[in-house]
Amino acid sequence: MSPRLLLVEDDDPIRTALRWALEDEGYTVDEAVDGDRACALVDRDPPDVMVLDLMLGRTDGYTVVRHVRRAHDLPIIVVSARADTHDIVAALEAGADDYVTKPFAVKEITARLRALRRRAGGTPADAARPREVVLDRHPDEPLVLRPAAGTVSRGERPLPLTVTEFRLLCELASVPGRVLSRAELLERVWQHGFFGDERLVDVHIRRLRTKVELDPGAPRVVVTVRGLGYRLDPR
Amino acid sequence: MRAGPRPTGLRARVAAAFGLGALLVSAVLAGSTFLLARGYLLDQRESAATAAAFVDADFLRSRLATAGTGVDDVLAELSTEGGDVVVRRGDSWYSTSLEVGARDVPAGLRAIVESGSAGRERVDSPAGPRLVVGVPVAGAGLDVYEVAPLGELRSVLTTLSWVLGAAALAASAAGAGVGLWASRRVVQPLDQVAGAATRIAAGELTTRLPATDDPDLVAIVGSFNTMVDALAARIDRDARFVGDVSHELRSPLTSLTTAVEVMGARRGELDDRSRQALTLVEQQLARFRATLDDLLQLARLDNDPGARGDEPVAVGGLVREVLAASGRPAGLLETDPEEDTVVRGDKAWLERAVRNLLDNADRHAGGARAVRVARRGASVVLTVDDAGPGIPPEDRERVFERFARGPRAARGSLPGAGLGLAIVADVAARHGGGAWASASPAGGARLSLSLPAGPA
Repeated sequence: MSPRLLLVEDDDPIRTALRWALEDEGYTVDEAVDGDRACALVDRDPPDVMVLDLMLGRTDGYTVVRHVRRAHDLPIIVVSARADTHDIVAALEAGADDYVTKPFAVKEITARLRALRRRAGGTPADAARPREVVLDRHPDEPLVLRPAAGTVSRGERPLPLTVTEFRLLCELASVPGRVLSRAELLERVWQHGFFGDERLVDVHIRRLRTKVELDPGAPRVVVTVRGLGYRLDPR
Repeated sequence: MRAGPRPTGLRARVAAAFGLGALLVSAVLAGSTFLLARGYLLDQRESAATAAAFVDADFLRSRLATAGTGVDDVLAELSTEGGDVVVRRGDSWYSTSLEVGARDVPAGLRAIVESGSAGRERVDSPAGPRLVVGVPVAGAGLDVYEVAPLGELRSVLTTLSWVLGAAALAASAAGAGVGLWASRRVVQPLDQVAGAATRIAAGELTTRLPATDDPDLVAIVGSFNTMVDALAARIDRDARFVGDVSHELRSPLTSLTTAVEVMGARRGELDDRSRQALTLVEQQLARFRATLDDLLQLARLDNDPGARGDEPVAVGGLVREVLAASGRPAGLLETDPEEDTVVRGDKAWLERAVRNLLDNADRHAGGARAVRVARRGASVVLTVDDAGPGIPPEDRERVFERFARGPRAARGSLPGAGLGLAIVADVAARHGGGAWASASPAGGARLSLSLPAGPA
């Protein structure tokens, strides 16, 4: 079955052309022209992935991202028209997985989508991974990662990680105690080349910490190594 | 002392005016003081000498009235404190001193006295200035002349004139000093304005003059700050305009590019002519995108003057990655050990500069022939050599300007509007380095980018 994609874009020509191009790539495309309709569609029947323009009319892209993230972990790519990079960071902090800027080529979006869906669907390597890794042996609330099952829990409570956050945690957990640079994480998680945007890593690490750390202000599981990158310290 | 006809500064002019004014006032004061003092002292001296002459004349007359008394004898009794006394009796002249005599009595005065009146006259003699007072002694056939030396008075007056002159000079120097201080005070706000203007020109558009309650400065400070507000608003508006225009262009360009990609995926369904047309559209769209991209990058650089990252970037490694990412052969690169080529800055901007240098060689010279990264003292220098036609010396600075173009032959045939090297120059400048063009030993052009080496 072809993956279902929700395309949210208020500019008719872009939406139409992008729909054609994405259908050529094998997606079943649903369209929404504004944020309210997008939220309604996601609530009724969540798609597999979402491509979302940040600059929508009344309900802007950030609001849609936050709304979707309340209940869903589906991959979201945002499209930013502004060179102002604060937009992008704000969208990532709201929970978007990746972004492209206008004007983009369709192959940029499809490459990002492939990387995201690979993450969502898991890779063959995941099967070879241990079923369960304990990341924090806290007496009451141990942090347990189950790569094959695709879940993380803190004590009895399952943590609602997005696919990107889950992938990030898996990559860090695969080399416990070793530093991974931002560039390495970009390559492993987003499949971006050497020149990817390292803010992607920083923002997602921040979001990951708010979910897995007991005190996100003083992280003890996912630690920053100044000037080098990030390291996972099993405790 | 000064070289060339440099106009005198405001401060120097104010100080000179103060000094000159003080000189004028003190000169008038000193001059009138001197004249008054001299008149008074001379008057004193003259009346004293005149009084002495009458007293002496009286004494002479009374003594000579005694028979048998000679003029000489009487003269010997006279006090010569206030001056010597010369007496004429008939054709004989008598004197209280050997140093004075008939020769010291001026002819004019003698004529007056002989005519029966008293008189006085100032004379210059080899022994110094003198005052001669003549008194006829009626009935005794005597003329009595009091010869009073004025040398002492003259030296007093000379001393006085020196003292007054020195005081006048000191007063004018003090005036000039006060003038200099006052002009500094007056010019100080101007210096502040100049400093603020310099900072604004350097891009610190938030610079304003501090508010003042000095009624003389309120207007200047107010209008200066208003001017800067207007300027900042204008620059902001221009920047927003570029942003708005580019935003307006992005959306149609995105839909156009996407639609053409959809067409490209169906290339096989088109006939020959349509395929050729599609290829043309694709090429021109790519060119359009590249230009818009450059414009947006420049707008971002302009909007963010002076900002640069501070991460360590090994230029050697960066160039290797750019070559790999763009599918160019890695063998083009010759680099010093990477740890020697570390600079501090913004990786994305530096990558952009390197890519633009390589693209420039593609566009104008059929591609780069050699790329070198070398440490030269405190700098890391990247050179890109090509085997194209080279850049004539007169164009070597111009190529780094916005919308400068290569030789006409290349125009129109390849994408790029000539913004790439302007971005290189801007990125180099904000990292504290430079970019320049020269001739490559291989025959084409050599473009160089120099950046200050960071701590390795």
